[in-house]
Amino acid sequence: MNRLTRRAFLAAGARAGLGAAALAALPRWTRAALAPDAPGAERIVRNDWPEHWETTVEALGRSFLTPERAFFVRSHFPVPRLDAGAHRLEVAGLVRSSRTYALDELRDLPAAEAVHTLECAGNGRGLYHLASTSGTQWERGAVGTARWSGARLATLLERAGVRPEARHVWLEAADAAPLPGAPRFLRSIPLGKAMDDALLVWGMNGAPLPTLHGGPLRVIVPGWYGMASTKWVTRIRAEAQPSDNHFMAKGYRYAYPGADPAAAPPVETVRVKSLITRPLEGAHLARGSVRVAGFAWAGPAGLDGVEVSSDGGRNWVAARLTGEEHALAWRAWEADLDIGARGTVTLAARATDGAGEAQPEAAAANAGGYGNNSIHRVTFHVE
Amino acid sequence: MAPALVGFALAGLALASSHPPRAPDNPHTPGAARRQVAYPATLAPGEGRVLAEQHCLMCHSAMLITQQHKDSTGWEKTLALMEKWSAPLDSAGHRNLHAYLLRRYGPRSGHAPDAPPGGVQRTP
Repeated sequence: MNRLTRRAFLAAGARAGLGAAALAALPRWTRAALAPDAPGAERIVRNDWPEHWETTVEALGRSFLTPERAFFVRSHFPVPRLDAGAHRLEVAGLVRSSRTYALDELRDLPAAEAVHTLECAGNGRGLYHLASTSGTQWERGAVGTARWSGARLATLLERAGVRPEARHVWLEAADAAPLPGAPRFLRSIPLGKAMDDALLVWGMNGAPLPTLHGGPLRVIVPGWYGMASTKWVTRIRAEAQPSDNHFMAKGYRYAYPGADPAAAPPVETVRVKSLITRPLEGAHLARGSVRVAGFAWAGPAGLDGVEVSSDGGRNWVAARLTGEEHALAWRAWEADLDIGARGTVTLAARATDGAGEAQPEAAAANAGGYGNNSIHRVTFHVE
Repeated sequence: MAPALVGFALAGLALASSHPPRAPDNPHTPGAARRQVAYPATLAPGEGRVLAEQHCLMCHSAMLITQQHKDSTGWEKTLALMEKWSAPLDSAGHRNLHAYLLRRYGPRSGHAPDAPPGGVQRTP
């Protein structure tokens, strides 16, 4: 469902004035981009390839579950086009019984389904406005919530029989850089987290997991930033140590310029954060009662509450938490503000987690631009 | 869907033929409403642009460069990493590409991360 047929591909090219020979000469990246899951109007292209597509705040505000066609996309390398029928997952390493599974065999495992929010660790990097930085300059929409379906990672590991010396689970992926010297993408997570609530998923919002979102098979690590939720997973290895792969030892660290990334704290669990989806920036509204709304989420401590302020942060009022409630998923919130005077209003939303940690006015910047959970402000006009 | 497909296809063809890729669709112009592009999809002109097209765009689009603001050390680290990952760049190419990237995508007026005591940020 996620790939154009050859006929459709050629038809698309014909509309572009390209012949079959010209299409065949297109770079692999471009051919992949011709898939029907193009960014569309609900995503902002921050990088054409690898696909770094951010959901617009307007699109995020339309529903509790983010549709897969609007869900943000972040890939490190070219999207591997994997044949679901031929795809295999190996469970190996410090286990008593290694095994390779076909997708159909995985579907025979006890089913697991959960709603979780995924946020890219770099979401908000562009809002740090660093003088010198690296990576995609995401603003607010590298986040989304979906219903993920598959099996518990624990089920696979229990069947394999994890040896007592194992402490970590390495998640190996199929995507690779065109440069032969670049390491493959690989993340590892603590065994405890893998056994607790990590999922191996092949479904998203009731449909087969789209290729751009890791189909046919990915891992979801609830409450951790998105890089842990490895897409296109091919091998799961129980190991005694965390991986020392580039994407563990150097990438995804809260490091400062000149500091050794390997000695800096790793980017792992998500920070408490809220997003205002209503009103949108620059909106024009009538005086009187103004409904404001959004989503808020937190890491393992859970979400405690959301407050809003329309007077520059002097006074805060509690917002109502509404709608569905799921562990490690965002929660919708809303509040009604009485705004009687014409003029420009700046609305702020501040979430607090179950450990009492509130969003900061401005998150402390780090060289990688990770974990920006600064308070969100939206300016609108009352007429 | 068609406008997005056309945009992708033409941009890709431009890359394949080594001609400068077309300008990005302007999200504010009719017909481009289905594709919102945050940054220029082509590299800025100047000496070194061809080097960048040859050595960088084999792995990622120009947008990953055109959105960056790095100082000399930042671009040096980027090039060193790409070379470590086997990007085929000789020393003259390295110097020229570094100079181009710094000239066209150098630091902006922003703030640097303040390192707290101990040099690292608290664990979240």
